[in-house]
Amino acid sequence: MSAPGVVFRARALARRYRMGEVEVRALAGVDLDIGAGELAVVAGPSGSGKSTLLHLLGGLDVADRGSVEFEGRDLAALPERERTLVRRRRLGFVFQAFHLVPVLSALENVEWPLRIDGVPAAECRRRAAEALAQVGLAERTAHRPDRLSGGERQRVAIARALVHRPAAVLADEPTGNLDSATAAAVVGLMESLRRELGTTFVLATHDPALVERAGRRIRLSDGRVVEDTGAGAAP
Amino acid sequence: MIFFALALRNLARNRRRTAATLGVVAAGTAALVLTAGFVRFSFDGLREAMIHGGLGHLEVATRAAVEAHGAAALDRPLAAALADWRPLRERLERLPDVAAVGANLQIVGLAQGADGASASFVGVGVEPDRERAMGFETKLRRGAGLADAAPAEGEDEVLLAAGLAATLGAAPGDVVTLLAAGESGMLNALDVRVAGILSTGVAELDTRYLEVHLATAGRLLESERVSNLLIGLDDTRATERALAAARAALAGSDPELAVTPWTERALFYEQVQNLYRGIFWFLGAIVFVLVVLAASNTLAMTVMERVRELGTLRAIGTGRGQLAALILAEAFWLGLLGALAGGALGLAATGALNAAGLRMPPPPGAVDPIDLQLAYVPEAFAGAAILMVGVLLVAALAPIARAVRLSIVEALGHV
Repeated sequence: MSAPGVVFRARALARRYRMGEVEVRALAGVDLDIGAGELAVVAGPSGSGKSTLLHLLGGLDVADRGSVEFEGRDLAALPERERTLVRRRRLGFVFQAFHLVPVLSALENVEWPLRIDGVPAAECRRRAAEALAQVGLAERTAHRPDRLSGGERQRVAIARALVHRPAAVLADEPTGNLDSATAAAVVGLMESLRRELGTTFVLATHDPALVERAGRRIRLSDGRVVEDTGAGAAP
Repeated sequence: MIFFALALRNLARNRRRTAATLGVVAAGTAALVLTAGFVRFSFDGLREAMIHGGLGHLEVATRAAVEAHGAAALDRPLAAALADWRPLRERLERLPDVAAVGANLQIVGLAQGADGASASFVGVGVEPDRERAMGFETKLRRGAGLADAAPAEGEDEVLLAAGLAATLGAAPGDVVTLLAAGESGMLNALDVRVAGILSTGVAELDTRYLEVHLATAGRLLESERVSNLLIGLDDTRATERALAAARAALAGSDPELAVTPWTERALFYEQVQNLYRGIFWFLGAIVFVLVVLAASNTLAMTVMERVRELGTLRAIGTGRGQLAALILAEAFWLGLLGALAGGALGLAATGALNAAGLRMPPPPGAVDPIDLQLAYVPEAFAGAAILMVGVLLVAALAPIARAVRLSIVEALGHV
């Protein structure tokens, strides 16, 4: 069981992938605690295991070895249906390529996590509009993703990740497709939302500027944690 | 509802492919609708042809006559013929739904032409005015029909079927001799003038069939009795009701009487129905397979093209069942829209074919070509629509299985 205030607890986390004939060691025994309200940046070069760590923390994948506890629950031990509910209600995801549904408007994209959870349509719309307003897109609710800039799309993705008030948001290279000014604005937005909502943010990036701004830096190399500036503590 | 809305938008992403699939579904639906219309047209045409070609809607005969050869047999033995039938007829004609009741006297015998050619025949004595009132149709090829009034002695007339007339070398105006065993068992002969040449519509029967007035048949057989009474109704759909009424009216008769509906006498109709139903289901199975293959391919493509999107939806908490529902909703729309388009296409094609005045070759055993008039079968439209939606849902199963088994991580990294 995780200590109070700890949102994510990873222990001896290991994951290997097979790529054709080659077996790739993505994570090789990671121990990590991330507390509530932290903004932790997972840094490291490509192939260091950042994305894999986020996938395991978010219950998108299951480790070969070790365990991940989220809010005190061992994700790997949960049935698939329960894991889906955890992702739907307690976690938010932001991806490098935004991954918005192209045929849905910004508002519809944001309200999706609520709609699939059975929240009444009117409330979905209200909360989605609020979330879009929080990320500064109150005027762009009816636009489909192809009518939005990269920064706007990422803000829609952030609104979608936050609309259901999750305990934590996992963001994989959230600024990877953005110019530096837009990237700074997006990170600033996440910081302010973390302060405002108390949501835990875990960001995977190899953007040095973003790493420098982080309250907590977790650096990975070859699937291992080689630097952790403040394990378990909120910045 | 959001699944249905999203599904519709997803289908609009690749309009050409969606249109092609809708085309297949529509063509399949139209094929089913047209086939159902043709089958119904055939059933209805055959039914009315049999009823108005001599079966009548209901037959009244003695129980003994019916049991002698079975209800489906067309001939009723003279020994069990119906005596004192006129009051019976009056009672039956007063029943609701009854258009008219005609008496028949069946004859089996030998016919001889003027030049000595002879042939066996099956004939029937009829009441022309009653037959007309029942909507019976005599397909007269040459000459005139029988007079309504009973012919005076020595003025008897006959209608010969074309094949029999050819065998006898007889033409309208000629005299032929009919020989038949009378009620007493004695062989009687009667000279009759050929009034006209008819066709029964059935090639085999045309070689043996003739018709005379009931009075002529009675004279030949020396009998006042009749083989049966045929009841013609205003509408075939009233058969069951009229059957019950007739049975009630004749209950307790002496001798016991049997009322037989046309459905029990027209075994051929049932056989044709079974054959056509078989063809219809066979065609339906082919359409089913074609539509499943086409739609399954389309839905599989939509899954393959959206792997990353489906992975994202799963990542943010969309359940496997919800993902399945999304794909099912796409299949539902394809089925419904395709069926609606197909229904409209079938309706238009039915109207166009009916307006074209096409003629079909004679059905097996018949001699006359028939006008093609496809029936509008509302239940076929509804049935085809339900079937198509069902077919599309079946076609969605394989793509759904693929979608829900996607690894989220692999799907997110899919290019």
